[in-house]
Amino acid sequence: MSAATATATAVPPPVGISNLPNQRYKIVNEEGGTFTVMLCGESGLGKTTFMNTLFQTVLKRADGQQHRQEPIRKTVGIDITRALLEEKHFELRVNVIDTPGFGDNVNNNKAWQPLVDFIDDQHDSYMRQEQQPYRAKRFDLRVHAVLYFIRPTGHGLKPIDIETMKRLSTRANLVPVIAKSDTLTAQELQQFKSKIRQVIEAQEIRIFTPPLDAESKEDAKNGANPDSAAIEHARQLIEAMPFAIVGSEKKFDNGQGTQVVARKYPWGLVEIENDSHCDFRKLRALLLRTYLLDLISTTQEMHYETYRRLRLEGHENTGEGNEDFTLPAIAPARKLSHNPKYKEEENALKKYFTDQVKAEEQRFRQWEQNIVNERIRLNGDLEEIQGKVKKLEEQVKGLQLKKSHLK
Amino acid sequence: MDFKEEQVSIKQDPEQQDHQHDQFNDVKIKQEPHDHDGEDSQCTNGTQDHDDETFDATEPGVKTESGAGIGITTSPTETGQVLPDQSEVKFIRRQINGYVGFANLPKQWHRKSIKNGFNFNLLCVGSNGIGKTTLMKTLFNNDDIEVNLVNDHEEELATDQEEEEHENQAQNQSHKVKIKSYETVLEENGVKLNLNVVDTEGFGDFLNNDKDSWNPIIKEINFRFDQYLDAENKINRRSINDKRIHACLYFIEPTGHYLKPLDLKFMQMVHEKCNLIPVIAKSDILTDEEILNFKKSIMSQLAQSNIELFKPPIYSNDDAENSSLSERLFTNLPYAVVGSNDLVENYNGSQVRGRSYPWGVIEVDNDSHSDFNLLKNLLIKQFMEELKERTNSTLYENYRSSKLANLGIKQDNSVFKEFDPISKQQEEKTLHEAKLAKLEIEMKTVFQQKVSEKEKKLQKSETELFARHKEMKEKLTKQLKALEDKKKQLELSINSASPNVNHSPIPTKKKGFLR
Repeated sequence: MSAATATATAVPPPVGISNLPNQRYKIVNEEGGTFTVMLCGESGLGKTTFMNTLFQTVLKRADGQQHRQEPIRKTVGIDITRALLEEKHFELRVNVIDTPGFGDNVNNNKAWQPLVDFIDDQHDSYMRQEQQPYRAKRFDLRVHAVLYFIRPTGHGLKPIDIETMKRLSTRANLVPVIAKSDTLTAQELQQFKSKIRQVIEAQEIRIFTPPLDAESKEDAKNGANPDSAAIEHARQLIEAMPFAIVGSEKKFDNGQGTQVVARKYPWGLVEIENDSHCDFRKLRALLLRTYLLDLISTTQEMHYETYRRLRLEGHENTGEGNEDFTLPAIAPARKLSHNPKYKEEENALKKYFTDQVKAEEQRFRQWEQNIVNERIRLNGDLEEIQGKVKKLEEQVKGLQLKKSHLK
Repeated sequence: MDFKEEQVSIKQDPEQQDHQHDQFNDVKIKQEPHDHDGEDSQCTNGTQDHDDETFDATEPGVKTESGAGIGITTSPTETGQVLPDQSEVKFIRRQINGYVGFANLPKQWHRKSIKNGFNFNLLCVGSNGIGKTTLMKTLFNNDDIEVNLVNDHEEELATDQEEEEHENQAQNQSHKVKIKSYETVLEENGVKLNLNVVDTEGFGDFLNNDKDSWNPIIKEINFRFDQYLDAENKINRRSINDKRIHACLYFIEPTGHYLKPLDLKFMQMVHEKCNLIPVIAKSDILTDEEILNFKKSIMSQLAQSNIELFKPPIYSNDDAENSSLSERLFTNLPYAVVGSNDLVENYNGSQVRGRSYPWGVIEVDNDSHSDFNLLKNLLIKQFMEELKERTNSTLYENYRSSKLANLGIKQDNSVFKEFDPISKQQEEKTLHEAKLAKLEIEMKTVFQQKVSEKEKKLQKSETELFARHKEMKEKLTKQLKALEDKKKQLELSINSASPNVNHSPIPTKKKGFLR
């Protein structure tokens, strides 16, 4: 009865479920967010400038960094810039992990190790924090995206690029970018991109891509149009990878009276936010405007969970009592990141002792030799006396004989 | 796969030390130490000296501070989270005027949340016939709310209860609170909600309402927390179903007087485990004035018993309207509600959800007739996600902390640290130096011991040599002397004898020889 009349007259007021996404929006807006990005690439590829361009503020001065004045450093360092940025009353905690010294050496053997160590360290630290009984405040520097800057050679990827990307891509969302792409013509860039894509595919390097599948499923169900636009956008982003970027902190007049962020050459103006000049806008969409949440949740749900699983596997039963209740598994302590200098110092110490041992051995050998010599000398001495004794004995014998004859 | 690499290399270290010891145990080994030097030394040559020096010079405080940080280890008696001392980490604070786009993050969450859907677990507690089911149906405007009974773990819980009852009071077996869990999927404008209503049958219906009334309910709440904790601790956490109770609606009988001891007792038991929202059920039998007075006395009773109700937050971006709603929602607790999904005709002829009495129609959705809309706002429209948020970040955390602490799991506060490459470097340096110093002492001891052993040995053989020589020499010299004496004597005796007895032959012979 009630159902029939309902359709006839009054529409019952909405329950309010449709407001749930707005509630989530408010909560996230209130909480703010955290985004940690790692910059990886040789010095001079414009990493710092790019970050400043991306966030439209100088997070770090691109020049006059301390390490540039230092004499050649041979290890890869970790440099963190932390910032709390506010846009439209939304606060984002940004951590930029720079890796000065990466790829700058003649011998770049294992240059990726400090980067890999850093990512693992952060996962490890978060895991340990999460296991504590009281964990209200947690420090989180898990890397949500690794921007790998490729030198715009036009030729291909270097072995160090391949090796490093391979290792990074199993731990974090890898986003390879072609740095300073304004040195390549449009044609060169296309060729370079397809070369890189081939290598990435051949080497099975897993790069971060916007989620297409989930979207399309939803799309099929709803037949909704807004989502198909999103898919189209995602597809465009994927096709443009690796993104060719140009960074700049300066604004110039674009000839039509508008100030645009650009690089000014005598032969023209490279507009950063012009899709036909570079892929900066695409990369920004991927990193911030459209897929920031995907970067964050992939890190949490995939990379962090994978790390955690690998660390805890085989240690599941430690600390588990007889109760039907699983306690937090305890992972073995992580070893110290191996600093080559420390290894070297250790070896130097060992060598010092080895040398000392050798010196002492030498001394002992000399000493032994001396003893032997002395023994020989003394034996000679004794032999001499013995000879005398023998001689005397004979003389005595002779005398005795003589004496007995006399008798 | 790389993780395995690491484990292997962990093993290597002690091995190297062993090698070192081996060398010293046998002083005569010559080439061994070069084994390890070879490959490692090629990548480094006094590399980071500069860094360390500049760090030390520019930040003299770092060393001592990080040192202190390491030194502070939590004593086992300490409870709670105590952050270790740490030098403050600098960060830049900027307001961005252009359009960078990270402010889209909440929007991205919005989109994702629609895709993922929502779930909510609501616990209803109140005596039979107080209108729990009706209110649920009215709230979610769905008559099928309590149709799909999910058996959950009910049996397990039931056996639990039975055991206890067998032990304690077998005669009460027929009276027990039954917990029933119903699941419904609701959808509104493309937003899906998986609603789980947990109903408590028979609460407050006993003759003697002691702990048996609330124990099964508390057990249910704890069980759901445990289930979640268990899932959270698992190695594979891909599919965690959140079954935790996100809110508890407590139905107060519309007596108009005071809360009963059972009401207070139950709310006391539960307010730290779930978001408590008390409602005055069937409030249409109370006049406005009675309701006001009833609310007042209820609130003062709750305050006296230190019972905390869910308080809707005011977000910093809320406008005046929203923040005043939040306040109104809190100040009007407990809500006087009436439930009905029946459509009745009101005085101006339109169909409304309500109850029709000879003296008038009470409209469910009419703000001036009951607090139904306030409840709807608090529970669904405005703060359903916040109820979940508080369950997760406060109530569950508290439960978890005390559970783990009671199980004897020690808090290690040293893991809560802002990562700082400089102090990390310092930390590693200190550890490295300690390791190096230990190694040096070990090697030095072994070295000195071996050297002095060898020295003693050589000295001993030296002295032995001299002693033996001296002894031999003395012996020989004695022998020599004795012989000489003997010879002299013999010669003497021969000489003295020869002139008398046999004088001629020897001298002649001698003379004969010499000449």
